[in-house]
Amino acid sequence: MRISYKLNDRFDLTIFLSATLLVVIGLLAIYSSTQNTILQKGNFDKQLISWGISLFIFFFIYSIPAQTFKLAALPSYIFSILLLLVVLVIGRKIGGARSWIAFGGFSFQPAEFAKLATILFLSNFLSRAETDLDNLKDIFIALAIGMTPIALIMLEPDLGSSFVFIGILLALLFWKGISLFGLAVVLSPGIVAVASLFGPIYFVVAIIFVVVILFFFKKDIFLSGSILALNIAAGFFVDNFYNILSPHQQKRIQTFIDPNADPLGSGYNAIQAKVAIGSGGFFGKGFLHGNQTQLQFIPEQWTDFIFCVIGEEFGFIGSLFVLILFLVLFLRVLRLASFAKNEFLSLVIVGILTVFFVHFLVNVGMAIGILPVIGIPLPFVSYGGSSLLINMTMLGIIMNIHRSRKEST
Amino acid sequence: MSAQIPFFDRKKIFYGIIIAVVSLYIFKLFQMQILAHEQFDAKASGNSIKAIEQIALRGVFYDRNMKLLVENTPAYTVRITPAEYDTSWNKKIETILDLDNGFITNMLYKNRIYSKFIPLRVKRGADFSAIAWIEENSEHLSGVDYVIEMQRGYPFGAMGSHVFGYSKEISPAQLKKEEEYYQPGDLIGSIGLEKKYEKDIRGVKGYNYILVDSRRREVGKYKEGKNDIASQKGNDLVLSIDGELQKIAEEELAGRAGAVAAIEPFTGEVMVLASSPQFDLNQFSYVTPKDYLRQLMGDPLKPQFNRASMAAHPPGSTFKLLCAIAALDLGVIDPSTTLYCGGSFSFGRSFKCHGAHGSVNVITAIEKSCNVFFYQLIFKIGLDRLKEYATRFGLGKKLGIDINEETRGLIPNSAYYEKIYGKNWPRGILVSLGIGQGEVNVTPLQLANYCGLIASDGKTFVPHLVKGYLDENKKFHSYKYKEVNVGIKQEVFNIVKEGMFRVVNGAGTGTSIKISDIQIAGKTGTAQNPHGKDHALFVAFAPYENPKIAVAVLIENAGFGATWAAPIAKKIIETYVRRTMPKTAVAPDKKNVDTQLGVEPIAD
Repeated sequence: MRISYKLNDRFDLTIFLSATLLVVIGLLAIYSSTQNTILQKGNFDKQLISWGISLFIFFFIYSIPAQTFKLAALPSYIFSILLLLVVLVIGRKIGGARSWIAFGGFSFQPAEFAKLATILFLSNFLSRAETDLDNLKDIFIALAIGMTPIALIMLEPDLGSSFVFIGILLALLFWKGISLFGLAVVLSPGIVAVASLFGPIYFVVAIIFVVVILFFFKKDIFLSGSILALNIAAGFFVDNFYNILSPHQQKRIQTFIDPNADPLGSGYNAIQAKVAIGSGGFFGKGFLHGNQTQLQFIPEQWTDFIFCVIGEEFGFIGSLFVLILFLVLFLRVLRLASFAKNEFLSLVIVGILTVFFVHFLVNVGMAIGILPVIGIPLPFVSYGGSSLLINMTMLGIIMNIHRSRKEST
Repeated sequence: MSAQIPFFDRKKIFYGIIIAVVSLYIFKLFQMQILAHEQFDAKASGNSIKAIEQIALRGVFYDRNMKLLVENTPAYTVRITPAEYDTSWNKKIETILDLDNGFITNMLYKNRIYSKFIPLRVKRGADFSAIAWIEENSEHLSGVDYVIEMQRGYPFGAMGSHVFGYSKEISPAQLKKEEEYYQPGDLIGSIGLEKKYEKDIRGVKGYNYILVDSRRREVGKYKEGKNDIASQKGNDLVLSIDGELQKIAEEELAGRAGAVAAIEPFTGEVMVLASSPQFDLNQFSYVTPKDYLRQLMGDPLKPQFNRASMAAHPPGSTFKLLCAIAALDLGVIDPSTTLYCGGSFSFGRSFKCHGAHGSVNVITAIEKSCNVFFYQLIFKIGLDRLKEYATRFGLGKKLGIDINEETRGLIPNSAYYEKIYGKNWPRGILVSLGIGQGEVNVTPLQLANYCGLIASDGKTFVPHLVKGYLDENKKFHSYKYKEVNVGIKQEVFNIVKEGMFRVVNGAGTGTSIKISDIQIAGKTGTAQNPHGKDHALFVAFAPYENPKIAVAVLIENAGFGATWAAPIAKKIIETYVRRTMPKTAVAPDKKNVDTQLGVEPIAD
């Protein structure tokens, strides 16, 4: 067993096998949900090809020197911001958002790439020796790095991806060791913004909450005043932002606030998704035998609602297996975060973990009716070439950091 | 600053969040899939909401007098749902529905890429006896049903196959382009007005929400149909076509290959657009029986070809009017200019005329259709300047009529000949161009438009078949068309029209169609056809003083225009004028013509 130990020492099989099993389950679900359709019939083959290409890229990323990631941080961030600007001009509109760039027969979402680029660049900034998160200036620089892609993605508008970036920003600041006060400064505008979505009373309550917190920390009056102003501004901004959202996203938010508002539109999907999963029972209805899936009651089952296919056809056992695979993947990756040979790489691991986790959180939460319907794919499982490619790249980075953890810096 | 959390705890918080979320989700799944499984299962296999598309009623077509030309009539459509269908019934159903052998197998194969739960239409317009048989055997015939759908009917009796056009089931290629509205099996306009006005007449689909069980069996309406969206009928079109005239033209053309186009001068409204032979729209729509298609394809006269707007032939002597207009407008001749006709014209070789006309002015040259006059004229005008005038009168270009089936035809210019023969192309080619033979090619529609422009002194609108539409409240809205003005001096029109008047009412080539109380002005033409007998042509407008109709008639391989084409134009003009202007028709002959008696009318 020495050989196997040695292999596992340089190559984390647990992580790799969890991801591989997720891709295989995804392929089964894609096949099942598209075999009866007109236009998506080829999705299984396309996903299989994407996986093949992704594996090559995975092993390439796995093998390169770990220093590469630090060097790539700034160029890839600049490049991704440019792509996000370009997509606003020449992007293809799919599902109400101008978020795809197409060249040749290939199309991809710049937001996918921007996630990785932002992780690298923000980690690079936070891991500098002189960065001090007790200094508000550095917090604001970090916020600027994180908020720039968010602002551009909001213009597309792609709500789902924006959540992922907010997750990255918070996770990295938290991992770096932001103080509770700093965390309050970063978090409170978001809380106020969400509250104001529900109505003016919630907005006022949230502002009072902020005032109490500011009083608790007993900072100087000028600082407290400007933070309060920032919060009030965030509340008003949300009203305008709500108007930027595409009608289908506005509808989805309304449906979340009041699910009965539109039982045949956005609400219909949420209801049918729950019916599909619930009717799967303990063992499921069997591969290719889910009637909700086969009769196409739920739209986009091969991407955003793929968990419904698993829930219906493979039942509680199947869904549990998928959740456990994700749990193993998350915990194993988080464990690696403390083994990384420097702070930069540790932050990168946490950033990537956050991307996987937020996607998982929102996607599965949406399918089982805990969260509103927000279009965001399930990592490794959902159909989508560029999404699989970037996920396998990020997996490659994690495994690279694991491989090189004992090398001298 | 304050309240730091140690690194170790931060990692613990991450662990905590991950485990909490996954546990919450597992708990929720346990609750849904195990505890509440029965309820969800009942919902899934018992009731589900399904949106059933309601096809909108297509708009109907009225003629210019609000007579119904194209209507919707209810008909039975038999459908098969592949998922539930037993293919051992194929033979029996094919016999009962009078389908080609193997039709169902073929249909199922072609549609294998679509959902097996969507019913496929096997036959539209099925007989009542077939429906009775399906009803009787419904217990054994799982996956076979029938619905009542609307079919096109043509109550007026005008066939209008090329104008009205037909709809066909949407093809996979079209579906890819228009997937946001259409579904497999939907009808979409395929040619003619049905295609051009598809978006106006198709209406808006509706949706009925029904509760279905897992096998898609309907178990009731969702919320008693409160959420249903009714389909909206498409707009009814009011055509500029005159049903009666169209019918006469079709009857006159029956048994021949040819076309009739009639336009209202000043407005550009197309009143007749008939092409012969026709094809049966009832047979052709939806799924064409193979036998009928084979018959159409095998017919040497190509019935599917719209001769009225696509057959480009030399205009023959009808082209002389354009030469006269160009020469007068350019000032290379004036009304008193005479040219000598000794019966032939030499230019390299001898070009014949049908008679020796002596010294003739332009009016007489038109009246007698003197070739020698126009042989000489074209050299005075010049080829490129002639083309410019032809283009102004809509010859040799697409007019932009509101059906897609239109060709350009051809008016050559010097560049055209240079391309074929080089810089020193033989100028002798020009001689026959002067009388509308050779490389000039125009369509009957272009001729009618050209004749209408002469009648209206050069002012009209782009020719069109549809005046406007009726909205859901039966309120009429007219479509706007582009104005056309050829910009030629009024005197020029007066002279040319005088010549055309004499063709019919003087000692010209068209006196055989003279009517004492309706003043027709016209021009005969015979297009030389290297492949067979000449094509007969005639253009005319009436009444002379107050033009209300301009007609062009083409009869292929018939002979002289005066003999074959002119009588059809006469019949259409006479019918129209007597019906719409009874007072004008009985008014006495206002115009005095110095009829040169004793001269036999000559067919050119």
